[in-house]
Amino acid sequence: MPPSQRRLDRSLDLFTGLLVLAFVAFCLFPLGWTLLTSLKPEADIVTATLQYIPQHVTLENYVTLWQQSDFPTLVTNSVVVTSITGLICLTIGTLAAYSFSRYRFRGRGKLLIFYLVIRMFPVVLMIIPLFIMMRNLGLLDSRFGLALAYTTFLLPLCIWMLKGFFDAIPLELEEAARIDGCTRLGALVRVVLPLARSGLVTTAVFVAIVAWNEFLFAMMMTTSQGSRTWPVGLQLMVGEFQLPWGPLSAGGILSIIPIIIFFALVQQSLIRGLTAGAVKG
Amino acid sequence: MPMDPRKGVFAGDSNTSILVRAGSRIALISETHSWAYLLLLPSFLLVLAVLIYPVGSGILLSFREMRLTRPDLGTPFIGLRHYRELWSDPVFHISLVNTTIWALVGTTAQFVCGLISALALNRGLHRLLPGMRLARVLILLPWVMPSVVAGHMWALMLDSRLGVINDMLVRVGLLDRYMAFFADPQTALPAVLVVSTWGAFPFFTLFYLAALQGIPDDLYEAAGVDGAGLWLQFRHITWPMLVPIVVATIVLRMIGMVNAPDLLLVLTGGGPGHATQVLSLFAFQKAYAEFDFGYAAAVSVVMMLMLMAFTVVYVRISGVTKE
Repeated sequence: MPPSQRRLDRSLDLFTGLLVLAFVAFCLFPLGWTLLTSLKPEADIVTATLQYIPQHVTLENYVTLWQQSDFPTLVTNSVVVTSITGLICLTIGTLAAYSFSRYRFRGRGKLLIFYLVIRMFPVVLMIIPLFIMMRNLGLLDSRFGLALAYTTFLLPLCIWMLKGFFDAIPLELEEAARIDGCTRLGALVRVVLPLARSGLVTTAVFVAIVAWNEFLFAMMMTTSQGSRTWPVGLQLMVGEFQLPWGPLSAGGILSIIPIIIFFALVQQSLIRGLTAGAVKG
Repeated sequence: MPMDPRKGVFAGDSNTSILVRAGSRIALISETHSWAYLLLLPSFLLVLAVLIYPVGSGILLSFREMRLTRPDLGTPFIGLRHYRELWSDPVFHISLVNTTIWALVGTTAQFVCGLISALALNRGLHRLLPGMRLARVLILLPWVMPSVVAGHMWALMLDSRLGVINDMLVRVGLLDRYMAFFADPQTALPAVLVVSTWGAFPFFTLFYLAALQGIPDDLYEAAGVDGAGLWLQFRHITWPMLVPIVVATIVLRMIGMVNAPDLLLVLTGGGPGHATQVLSLFAFQKAYAEFDFGYAAAVSVVMMLMLMAFTVVYVRISGVTKE
C-alpha cells in the first residue's frame, strides 16, 4: 500500500472517529442531563447560574416521586398492560408466523403484504372507533382493554419479526422429528419453538418496549388510577405554571432503566430481527 | 421405537387427563390440510376486530355526526358536511401546511443523519476502530426512548430560563439572550423537529448499517483497483445497493411522522397559536378534548388519503418495483 494511501486512511479514520463521537454525544447528552438534573435539589435546578456538575447530589427527587405521586401504581399498571400485550402478541403471533413461514397456501403473499400495509392507517382514526368499541364492551379504562388496543399496531409487526426468525430454522430438523413420529403440532412445540427461543425473547422485548412507551392510546383510553400507565401519569404531573423538573427527571430516569437493560440484553438479536429484510434487499 | 400420538387418543384409557386428550385432538387436526389456515385464524380474527373494524367504522363515522358532549344530537348521517367544514376551517389549512413541513423536513433531516452515521459506523467497524461496537448500541438508544420522556428531557434543556442549551449557545456567542424556543412561533416547529430528529434518526442508522454490512467487500476492492475514489465508490456501489431500503424506510418514516402527534402533544400542544398544529394532533384534540368524534374521524380520513397518495406516487417515482 502506498504511503499516501495510508495517510489518507489514517486521516479518514480520525474523521470517522470524530463523526461517530459527535453522534454518540448528540444521542446521550439529553439522557445524561436528565440524570444530572434528577440528582440536584430543587434549589439548584431553578437557579440563576446553571450548574453543570451537581454540587449537592441528592436522591430526594426519587423519594418525592415514589412517595408523593402515584408512581408505584402507574408502574404496576404499565407492567400489567405490557405483560398482557406481550402474551397476546406472542401466542397469536407465533401461530401465524409459523404458518407463514412453513406453509405455502393460497393468498399467503397477499395476506403478508396486508399485514404490512395496515401500518398506514392513522392511529387517530383507529383510536376513535376503538374507544367507542371498548366503551360498549365495558373495556374502557381497563388494563386488558388497553392491551387489546396495543395489539392493533404490535401484532402485525410481531408476526413479521417472528416469521423472520422461523425462516432461519432449517426445515430438515422438523422433518427429522416428523419421521420419528412427531405430529406437526409436536414438531412445532418440541423442535421449532425451543430453537426459536432467542427470536421469541427478542420479539417479546421489542413488543414490551413499545407497549411500555406507548402514550397516545393510553392517554385516550384510561381515565382513572386503576389503569393509567406511567407515561400518562408523568405527563399529568406537568402543572400549568411551575414544572416539577426534579421529580419529572427522576420519573424519566426510572422509567427508562428497564428499557435500557432489556435493550442491552437483546440488542444484537433485535437488530438482526428488525433488519432481516433489509440485508436481503 | 417411533411413537404414534394418534394411538393415545382412542386408547380409551379413562385416566388420560382432559388436557392430554385435547392436546392429542389438536395434534390430529395439525395433520389436516386446514392446519395452515387454522394457525392464522386467531391473528386474522384479532386484526379484523381491533384494526379493520375500527378503521372501517372510523371512515363511516366521518360521514356522521357524533359528539359525546351532545348526546341529544344522536348520530345522524350527514354526508360530506364534515369535509365541507374542514375545507373552510382555517386551522385545518394551517395543519395541512404544517403537516407537510413537519413530515418532509423531519424525514429528510432524520434520513441525512441516519445515512451519515451509518456510513461512519460502518467504516469504523470495518477498520476496527476502538469503541465502535459500543457506539453502535449507544446511537440506537434515543430510538427506544418513550416520547414522553424525550419530550420532557428536551423541554428542560431548551427551557427559556433553566435550559442548558440556551446557556451553552449564549456562552459560545451564538445567542445574545435566552430564547423561549417553544413559545416563539418562529422557532417552535424547528425546535420540535430537532427533538424528533434526535429520537428517530437511529431508525435509519439501524437499517442502513445492516444493509451496508451486507455489501460484499470485493466490490469495493475491485473498484479501488480500478482507481475509483470514495465518492465514485459511494455513487456506483453503495448507493445503488441502498436504494430499495432507502425507499422502504422513508415511506415507513413518513407514515410515522404524519401519524404520531406524541412529541407535539407533550412539547407544544399545537401552539403557540397554531404554529405547530398538525393534522394528527388536530384530530386527536378534536376527539380527546372536544369529543367531536365525527369531525376528528374526517380529519383522520384526509390524513390517510394523503399518506396513500404519497406512498403510491413516491414508490412509482423511485422505480424500485420495476425489478
